[in-house]
Amino acid sequence: MIALGYDLGSTYTKVVILKDGKVIGKGIAKTTLDPEESVEKARQAALQDAHIEGKQIDRVGVTGSGRKLIKNADVDTTDVSAAAAGVNYYSKDFKTLIDVGGEEARAVKVSADGKVVNFAVNDKCAAGAGAFVEAMARAMQLSLEEFAESSLASTKKIPINAQCAIFAESEVVSLISDETKREDICRAVHDGISERLTSMARRVGIEDRVALIGGAVMNKGLVKAIKDALEMDVTVLPDPLFVSAVGIAVLAAKAEG
Amino acid sequence: MEKKYKTAPFRCWDKAKTIRMNIYREIGEAKANGKLLIGGGAESLIAIPTGFDHNILVGEPYGASISYLYRENPDLYFQIVEAAEHAGYPRDLCAYMRNYLGSLILDKYIFGGHFPKLDFCLQAGFCDTHSKWYQIVSEIEKIPYFSLDLVPFDWEISGESEKTKQLKRDYIVNQIHEAIVWMEKITGRTFDDEKFIQGVINESESTSTWAKVCMLNRAIPAPLDEKTILSFYILAVLGRPRQDVVDFYRELLAETEERVENQIAANPYERARVITDSQPPWFALDFFRLLESYGVVSVGAHYSFGLSGGWEYDPEEKTWNAAKTPKERGVELKTRDDAARWLANWWLSTGTVCRGVRHSGAGKIQRVKDMVDKWQVDGVILHLNRGCEGTSLGQMDIVSSLLKDGVPTMTFEGNHADPREYDEKRTFARIESFMETMGLKQIYEFKK
Amino acid sequence: MIKDFVDIYEKRHEYAKAWKEKNPDKKVMGYMCSYFPEEIFYAGGILPVRILGSHQPQNVTEPYIFGMYCPFSRDVLAQGLLGRYDYIDAVGTAYPCMHLGQAFDSWTMHVTQKSFYIDMPNRVQSPLSLPFLTGRLEETKKEVEEWIGREITHANLQDAIDIYNENRSLLRQIYMTRKADDVPLTGTECMYITAANLFMDKKEANALLKDTIAKELTGRKVKSSDDTRLMIVGSENDDIGFMNMVEEFKAVIVMDDHCTGSRYFWNPVEPQENLIQAIAQRQIDRPICPQRDYPERRRLPYLLHLAQEWRVKGVIILQQKFCDPHELDKVAIVNWFKEHGIDTLYLELDVTVPLGPFKIRVEALLETLREDDIW
Repeated sequence: MIALGYDLGSTYTKVVILKDGKVIGKGIAKTTLDPEESVEKARQAALQDAHIEGKQIDRVGVTGSGRKLIKNADVDTTDVSAAAAGVNYYSKDFKTLIDVGGEEARAVKVSADGKVVNFAVNDKCAAGAGAFVEAMARAMQLSLEEFAESSLASTKKIPINAQCAIFAESEVVSLISDETKREDICRAVHDGISERLTSMARRVGIEDRVALIGGAVMNKGLVKAIKDALEMDVTVLPDPLFVSAVGIAVLAAKAEG
Repeated sequence: MEKKYKTAPFRCWDKAKTIRMNIYREIGEAKANGKLLIGGGAESLIAIPTGFDHNILVGEPYGASISYLYRENPDLYFQIVEAAEHAGYPRDLCAYMRNYLGSLILDKYIFGGHFPKLDFCLQAGFCDTHSKWYQIVSEIEKIPYFSLDLVPFDWEISGESEKTKQLKRDYIVNQIHEAIVWMEKITGRTFDDEKFIQGVINESESTSTWAKVCMLNRAIPAPLDEKTILSFYILAVLGRPRQDVVDFYRELLAETEERVENQIAANPYERARVITDSQPPWFALDFFRLLESYGVVSVGAHYSFGLSGGWEYDPEEKTWNAAKTPKERGVELKTRDDAARWLANWWLSTGTVCRGVRHSGAGKIQRVKDMVDKWQVDGVILHLNRGCEGTSLGQMDIVSSLLKDGVPTMTFEGNHADPREYDEKRTFARIESFMETMGLKQIYEFKK
Repeated sequence: MIKDFVDIYEKRHEYAKAWKEKNPDKKVMGYMCSYFPEEIFYAGGILPVRILGSHQPQNVTEPYIFGMYCPFSRDVLAQGLLGRYDYIDAVGTAYPCMHLGQAFDSWTMHVTQKSFYIDMPNRVQSPLSLPFLTGRLEETKKEVEEWIGREITHANLQDAIDIYNENRSLLRQIYMTRKADDVPLTGTECMYITAANLFMDKKEANALLKDTIAKELTGRKVKSSDDTRLMIVGSENDDIGFMNMVEEFKAVIVMDDHCTGSRYFWNPVEPQENLIQAIAQRQIDRPICPQRDYPERRRLPYLLHLAQEWRVKGVIILQQKFCDPHELDKVAIVNWFKEHGIDTLYLELDVTVPLGPFKIRVEALLETLREDDIW
């Protein structure tokens, strides 16, 4: 049984292929103004990676904000359910997932069989996660990798506003002009975001083990900050961008024909 | 999926519309007809001025009406909201108030012409904003202003002492008397006690009958969905002391009883029931239609059931039922003081929504859980209303408590009267995720 | 001395715990609003300590309180949830506002079960509010007596009133010294003193205040007539960092109207036979909180009086973000001061504030105020 899962996000289109329950291929394309083209690009990349042809696909699942694009999928769910199924694929021990995207973040309580028990999504006043870090990295003239590395070198905690990204940005500007050490500012940004994420996660109740997914968690500095804020260990899943696509492929494979 | 139940439109639907339009028309014609035109909130003791020939321009529904302009007439909408903002009123203030003030500052009545000339403002301060709202209106319009201080009972679960309750009753009663004397003084008109007594009786009848209608929604299938409920509850908000509103609710009650008996449903696919809370985003009620496409009917809300009062607590059953009217209690209101005392106690004892704006905690949780139980609810959707901290009071604790009890619960953020603060697409995405949590698939595609 | 107040402000919990150790048969309670009738509790041998926030970002309140509620109310609740007030035996408030009221309700559910709630009326401009509040406080006294297991006598109450009145008088004395050209203490130092008083046994506070006035403030000069005189008006404010930043300029904050500042202590309990009524009368007559200031605007002439008496050139209106009551007054206050030739700057506070951008705004205000000197 070969199942293909689409995750049509607003920034990236991801595709995962499962064979008999194992990931055999992945593909990704930037979501452009021509989403059908992005879908096809990502699909072809995944098929190539899996060394199979399209006609070999038995089941299709689709998730993500652009999922209505794919007609006649066997399974169509929101990314909340897909993410829960995705983390469950990696381990049934994951009870909490935190999905940190560019614009949106969510926390999900997951049951042992990969179902959603409860979920929370970041609200207006805590908007932005990955996008905020990117903006701050640009302000400090660093790449994202440099920003992350720099934060790990910090030895000083500077509190910044954890409620409002706009206020937080103002505070960062103040810190820059006060000649605060670069690594401390980078860390402060990560700490600020992780406070918001943790606040949101507490709404669903944080239970060990905690999985982190989403593109923004490829940032090691942010991951450390989340660990510190949660005061517990977390696991960044492999290829965290693809977890929802894995999840929807799993659900497609399980779906009754 | 096959439809499970039959549906039918409400026969009295058009009558509700007519009464509502009459109320707005009368506001426009008040001065020409020699009536007083009073400014004030609907969540006030609007029975007090019934001793005069009058109309009230109630601010909250007017503020809600302005929010519809966002789609229908965006130019006017932005003129109005920006007028309030340019005057310096921050965006996180009550959206009803900002809309109203903008319209007043611009001197543009959205139903046509200039903003109506009020004779005075009469308000009740049941939340932090309302007393100040009409202070500002009075300053702009240079008209007299009276605001009663409404100190609500605590929730029954708190065990508030009888002495404290009596203090609160007396405080309100004394203020009612004071307000009447004040109105006579500034208007030079004589207050008619008989009309006041009838107004108070009507308020009790309207709100109690409305509560009875809401209780009928415990039936499966539910005869009303929340969108319909919101169209009917508004009459109590606008004019509960009016005879035509009393008569309407009696008619609605009879028709709803008939629907229950004949299993006429609001949603022919009903397979799950939810309740909501807080004012909905008035300009974007489509999410109820989205729920319907999943076979989910929203059977009500503490807000729409109880905003204007009418629910009394049964300490034995630990639940709330339709409050007994003077007639049902065998009480005769003969004097102004009788009416004032009845009105004060009615507001304090049966006004659970206004109470919930001051006190949350275990009491408000109990009220919501009671609704989950009695209305046989499968899930709860709470509107975290950025435009009204009052109705949002205690909501997060309610969410935690419901989740602990295993009741599927979700929240969405929005604003009851500022469309700029509501993201429909994201809200729909959340509802869709919530439906998945409840194990429900969409029955038909919902198109706006 | 001032540094003692700084120490108590920064180590408020250690102070309360030490007090409890010294007084093992007595109780400590936390309260959330300056309308709380402390004297009644103090008369019962209880130490009331004001619950304030910590100005540190936190991630614990979101399951309990909506993000649109003011940062102060959330910061207050966070202190309870984080266990920082684990030594209090009860929590109390008079009706503050919806936001702090929500913090109180959540606190009673999740932190401290024993609670006292006083229905403080809003319509303090009406004579009807006095009998209401008096009756309500009589009930409160009974609740306290039941809790402590003994009667609060007339003498207990009188003692408490006397001690609190002395505290108010001493704090006022300090504020009066700020009328002078040669100001003996900065606004920041004064904030430390008033805020520390919120956490202290007033008997101990009074001794320290007397000492400070006699030995430290007399003859002291920290700012002069060259410094631009400012007043801050607004909601709860113990943002020491902000105050410091302002006074790093050639400016001095000589007066305030906020609830952890002068509004807390300004007027005494006036003597009368019925002591409960006397306490109620004081609450009704005290400098008013915005949501209670209707139908007339009594706050405006009062603020102008303060500004004129303390010869203030500019006013900084500082409110907690999302604070409805203060936002509702802000337009009237700005216009009022403008009509009377006093410039204002309006800023919103959060748990932490962007000092850099705020500094630019404050500097711009100061330049505006010094235009006459510059030109």
